[in-house]
Amino acid sequence: MDPFATLGLERTFSLDLRAAEKTHRELSRALHPDRHARGGASERRQALERAVAVNEAWRVVRDPIRRAEALFTLAGVPVGDTHEPAPSPALLMDMMEQREALAEARSRRDAAAVRDLAAQVGAREEATELALGAAFEDARGDRARLEPLVAKLGELRYYRRFLEEASAITDDLEPSS
Amino acid sequence: MTLLEIFDPKAAPKPIGIDLGTTNSLVAYVDDERPCAIADCDAEVLLPSVVAYGPRGAVDVGRHAKAGASQRARETIVSVKRFMGRGADDPETARLGPYSFVPPKPGEANVVRFDVGDRVVTPVEVSAEILRALKRLAEDELRAVGGAVITVPAYFDDAQRQATRDAGRLAGLEVLRLLNEPTAAALAYGLDKKQNGTFAVYDLGGGTFDVTILLLDDGVFQVKSTGGDSALGGDDMDHALANLIFERMGWGERERGDANLVRLVLDRARAIKHALTTGLEVEAEIVPGRSVVVRRAELDRLIEPLLERTGVACRRALKDAGLKAEGLDGVILVGGSTRVPAVRAYVKRLFGREPLADIDPDQVVALGAALQANLLAGEGRDDILLLDVIPLSLGIEVGGGVVDKILPRNTTTPTGARATYTTQEDRQTGFEIHVVQGERELAGDCRSLARFTLKGIPPMPAGMAKLEITFRVDADGLLTVHAREETTGLEQEVSVKPSYGLDDAAVEQMLMDALDHGEDDLKARLLAENRVEAGRIVQATRQAVAVDADLLAPGDRGRIDEAIAALEAASRGDEPGRIHHLIEELDLASKEFATRRMNRAIARAIEGRKVTDVEGGLSSHAAPGAE
Repeated sequence: MDPFATLGLERTFSLDLRAAEKTHRELSRALHPDRHARGGASERRQALERAVAVNEAWRVVRDPIRRAEALFTLAGVPVGDTHEPAPSPALLMDMMEQREALAEARSRRDAAAVRDLAAQVGAREEATELALGAAFEDARGDRARLEPLVAKLGELRYYRRFLEEASAITDDLEPSS
Repeated sequence: MTLLEIFDPKAAPKPIGIDLGTTNSLVAYVDDERPCAIADCDAEVLLPSVVAYGPRGAVDVGRHAKAGASQRARETIVSVKRFMGRGADDPETARLGPYSFVPPKPGEANVVRFDVGDRVVTPVEVSAEILRALKRLAEDELRAVGGAVITVPAYFDDAQRQATRDAGRLAGLEVLRLLNEPTAAALAYGLDKKQNGTFAVYDLGGGTFDVTILLLDDGVFQVKSTGGDSALGGDDMDHALANLIFERMGWGERERGDANLVRLVLDRARAIKHALTTGLEVEAEIVPGRSVVVRRAELDRLIEPLLERTGVACRRALKDAGLKAEGLDGVILVGGSTRVPAVRAYVKRLFGREPLADIDPDQVVALGAALQANLLAGEGRDDILLLDVIPLSLGIEVGGGVVDKILPRNTTTPTGARATYTTQEDRQTGFEIHVVQGERELAGDCRSLARFTLKGIPPMPAGMAKLEITFRVDADGLLTVHAREETTGLEQEVSVKPSYGLDDAAVEQMLMDALDHGEDDLKARLLAENRVEAGRIVQATRQAVAVDADLLAPGDRGRIDEAIAALEAASRGDEPGRIHHLIEELDLASKEFATRRMNRAIARAIEGRKVTDVEGGLSSHAAPGAE
């Protein structure tokens, strides 16, 4: 399945998400089962299948990690646990230090420090997304040029896991914020 | 109502919306674009969700049943909604009321069974009694009732939704859709106020709490996130107050074991709670000659922990929607429990703004459901669309009891996803699939929805078999799971019922039992249903042909006209099977045409404008004469 084609979007990482969301909404207007509730069985079935495909595509496209995964897969570059290169030692060291800092802030119950750490990693996530967007443009779907970019996807995964953890800690430390 | 209306034999069936609540239920319909609730002969709109089972099959629903509850506590089921979709072995089950339960016999579905004297009933049957009473009420008012939209808490899981749908079927309703309560409320508010923006709906009912964040944009109600607790509501306030009363009365274990006394105290607790909405202090007689005094501040203290739980859900919903409270354009209060002053004050503090409550919080959900029923029947405005989400993540248990999330919470429905697994051992011929719902990492901490085994995989080395599991969630939020072994094409599909639901055969049997003359009644009902369906499809097909005549391939019109004529002839007869067959024939005759219309609709949506002549409309999708 090509989620970009399903939504009538250009196959690119740097998408105008607002425009894409609008397209998703217009497609939902056309296809949602509520719109076909009075139609015949095959009309309802077709509408449901396509509405499912449209929602599935939107779920992929709106999320940077899933969007990158889809672009790699469409270009024939395998992604996923067993296919991706091990993270670089530099990134591993870096994330380990950040995690330690996070654990310390947690045990000190220092919510401000947790937020600072999250902001730092958030900024790196954003930078990586921008870099990945530019690199996808340059590669123009060329497999050989795309393969080295898979490492950046791994980076995004690390950042996300870190941010989710930080967010859970924040919830825990400041239940009323 | 005029006599003319009463005797109109051709009264068109009216779609209805039903709020099947924990404490009260009600039914509404749309009259000339305005939704309104239907009152009974005493001018009461709210039907207490109380069902009393008497001797010789007598069943009483509503106020009368409620009034007698403290004399016949074990035979009178109150707040049945809290038992929907729960297992007989669920620890919550026993905690919820003074009932006698019957454990399921071996081979029977793991659902709650109440012993109500001379028979045993399940929550689905009890709920069906409430729905039947509402249906009768609607029939008295509207003459003929069409399809129904039944609301459910947004936070209801799959088993609870299935149980609600089964109850509707059992009550003889055509269930058009299960609609999430907060979304229904938003629809009623949105259409009333015609305002765009992002809103939070805080819905605290008798037994369930939901919070939903949604974006209203030019007629599209898009749910961004939802959260809640399907076991938190006004009932819990009553229980807390009842505990206080038991303490004040100096009562101990012996009194707490008296079912009728427990029911009486719970009733008194509720009355005290209601009185404290306006009063600051209330004195209530518990048993003749003995009263207790409760101050509002005491109630506030008792419910503080409950409110904190709603706060946690609200903060998470905001976060899931990527918003802060300041980013909201309004907060809507829904549910009778939001009348409690401490609840209003809490919501105001939580969201930093005065919440809206100008539509009756007891009625707003049913009014929204009626609007949705009207839309689905094609009678409302056609620019309205509700886009809802799944409230809890859906996943599969993988090695070590860990959950592999296949669909995360807050995914827009209808939706689907696939995941591929492989065998762990050499020559493994069966693959057990355990479907769970919830946010926890371990399957044991999530709700188990279904277990089934894909059998007959040919013996292969470990890791060679490829099992593709497909999840599909429809617009009712109901899940279907499909498993397929790719190398052999072995397939299995389950609608997710086994763990805590009744299977189709059991519901069918209950349906037969509920009808006075079994098969004859069933046939009459099938005939009526098929005629309605036939009429609807003929109308829809004619309309489609009129609108998109240019998409008809040569020969299409002849085939479609013929199929319509045959179906209309069959509809005048009395064979439901024949009507059903001819509905399928018409469907077949117009299938290609329907595909072309769908393609045109998609092209237009992507273009984002009305295109009169869509490129490649007919020619690229079907070569004329090539059929």
